Amino acid sequence: MRLLQVNLRGSLAFSLILVLVSIPVSLLSIRALLNEEVDESIAAQAEQFIYHVKGFEYLDDLETDLQVLDKLSSNIHIQPSDGPIRENYRTLYLYDSIDHEEKPFRRFEKSILIKGKAYKLVVRMSLVENNDLIMTIGLVQLAVSFLLAAGLLLLNRSLSRRLWKPFYKTLDHLKAYELDKNQSMSKEKSKITEFNDLNTAVIHLVDRNREIYLQQKEFIENASHELQTPIAIFQSKLDSLMQSPTLTQSEADTIMELELTTQRMARLNKNLLLLSKIDNDQFMDKEDIDISALINGQRDFLVDMAEPGGLKIESYLEKLTIHVNRALIEVLLSNLFNNAIRHSTKEGVITIVISNRTVSISNPGQGRAVDMNRMTQRFSKDSRDSSSTGLGLAIVKKICDSAHFNLAYEFRNSIHTFSITF
Amino acid sequence: MKILLVEDEKQLVKDVTSALRQEGYVCEVAFSAAEASDKIASFEYDCILLDLNLPDGNGLSILESVKAQGKSDGVIILTAKNSPDDKVRGLNLGADDYLAKPFYMPELLARVSAIIRRKRFDGNKEITFNELAIDLPGKSATVHGKILDLTPREFSLLIFLVANKNRVVSKHAIAEHLSGDDADLLDRFDFIYSHIKNLKRKITEAGGRDYFKSVYGLGYKFSA
Repeated sequence: MRLLQVNLRGSLAFSLILVLVSIPVSLLSIRALLNEEVDESIAAQAEQFIYHVKGFEYLDDLETDLQVLDKLSSNIHIQPSDGPIRENYRTLYLYDSIDHEEKPFRRFEKSILIKGKAYKLVVRMSLVENNDLIMTIGLVQLAVSFLLAAGLLLLNRSLSRRLWKPFYKTLDHLKAYELDKNQSMSKEKSKITEFNDLNTAVIHLVDRNREIYLQQKEFIENASHELQTPIAIFQSKLDSLMQSPTLTQSEADTIMELELTTQRMARLNKNLLLLSKIDNDQFMDKEDIDISALINGQRDFLVDMAEPGGLKIESYLEKLTIHVNRALIEVLLSNLFNNAIRHSTKEGVITIVISNRTVSISNPGQGRAVDMNRMTQRFSKDSRDSSSTGLGLAIVKKICDSAHFNLAYEFRNSIHTFSITF
Repeated sequence: MKILLVEDEKQLVKDVTSALRQEGYVCEVAFSAAEASDKIASFEYDCILLDLNLPDGNGLSILESVKAQGKSDGVIILTAKNSPDDKVRGLNLGADDYLAKPFYMPELLARVSAIIRRKRFDGNKEITFNELAIDLPGKSATVHGKILDLTPREFSLLIFLVANKNRVVSKHAIAEHLSGDDADLLDRFDFIYSHIKNLKRKITEAGGRDYFKSVYGLGYKFSA
């Protein structure tokens, strides 16, 4: 859930609860207030009536007058009563013959003594107007509440959207950021201090990481470069030793082993340099290259490597021309070929196929599939073969990634197949 | 045949000069860019071996001044900084060849001999060694005038060994020479043995002598 929604949801829920609780509460309290008012009013009327009736007690036919009054008045009734009754207020519904409906009334009952005779005095008052008032107040309140909630909702939403914009922009930048490609992150200006702080912190972090990354990259490159000269000296010393006229067999064996080691060192170094050069995009010049011709050109060397061991090489090449850096595609193909030769079982057939813009290289191998992710990492290698630098497939992967080729691996019927789709 | 080696690494200088002298070249050394400029201005060289990273300047500026003076000295760039930019710039500035460190001595000697042949013997691009004659542009070899039926790889191997005559050339150096620059080499040398065997057979069958000597399984020596 997005922060914006959580925020809105919270305030919306609070508003709704408030509205739902406050409307009935306020309506009930208004009604109670009004009833109190009405009760006071009818009690006062009753007091006034009693006061006036007491004033007419000297009249002989007061009893008849009261009967007449009872008939004429709609709101005050006075009738002789059998016994005393308690003073009480009640709300009741009476039938209105004009409107043909029940209407609410408030009624007050009390016993009074007139000329020693007990009477029941009833005073009542219509509540219709009060109820209408309450209803109107309720409706207005409801309408105002809903308008307020809706307004708040919309306002909050647009405001939040505007407020959080710099945050989401920063987030988008971060998501799109690639340490090895982008320079730095652009600074998003915001009026909000927190977002500015966040941006500054993020940019600082990114710049710092990038700096370290560049330093490390430079270090690898420099280290590889600096190693070249000592290796060259080593190699030239071995060559001098080899020229000695008094060389013995055991000395020759040692020199041979040393040369093998030196060569591995040189190759390792060269491959590391190559990887860092690909990282640095130093292979920019592209040209149209006929892949089938390139493979045919490397064939001689392949045959040299494969045939003495009993391996055969078969190729089925369609013509395929792609726009690519020559050095990179040469390294890519020769690494795949070497990989195939190195890991083939003896006396098998290595097959090279070009079709549908895909180059596939298959070799018969040991009985299980290799883990591509592991094999394309630097220095992960098959322990059986000490001559491998463990960088061949890492370089293949790197070149494919940098040139946007698709590298696929398949293992079927004891045959490993690497395919590259251009 | 005079060669100038411009290189500040003393150990490397020692081995390269001794290998070059062994092959009969006159070899002088400059340890800095300033020294190199002085020598190039005063003498003519057939070939200059130029290291790009010198303590007092970039070797490319020496190359520029060689070409600006209109000298015909052949230049081979030797560098530890094997970047494509440097290679392209060096070759564009008129360097004849480019060799990245670390290199095999036989490879250097083969490149030097190729440059010198190109500079010295204009028109006459044939190498002769006793009864053996190698026609470089025609990519063919003859023994007593009889043409040998060589594959391109056998031919390339023959030139390489002849350029390193009387020296032991290791199997690694041969393998790297035949496989080219970018091949991630496999430690398989059987193919060299079969190429040498075929070459030897073809030359002796045509009446030539066996010049190929195997040295303790380490490599081969082409000598009379």
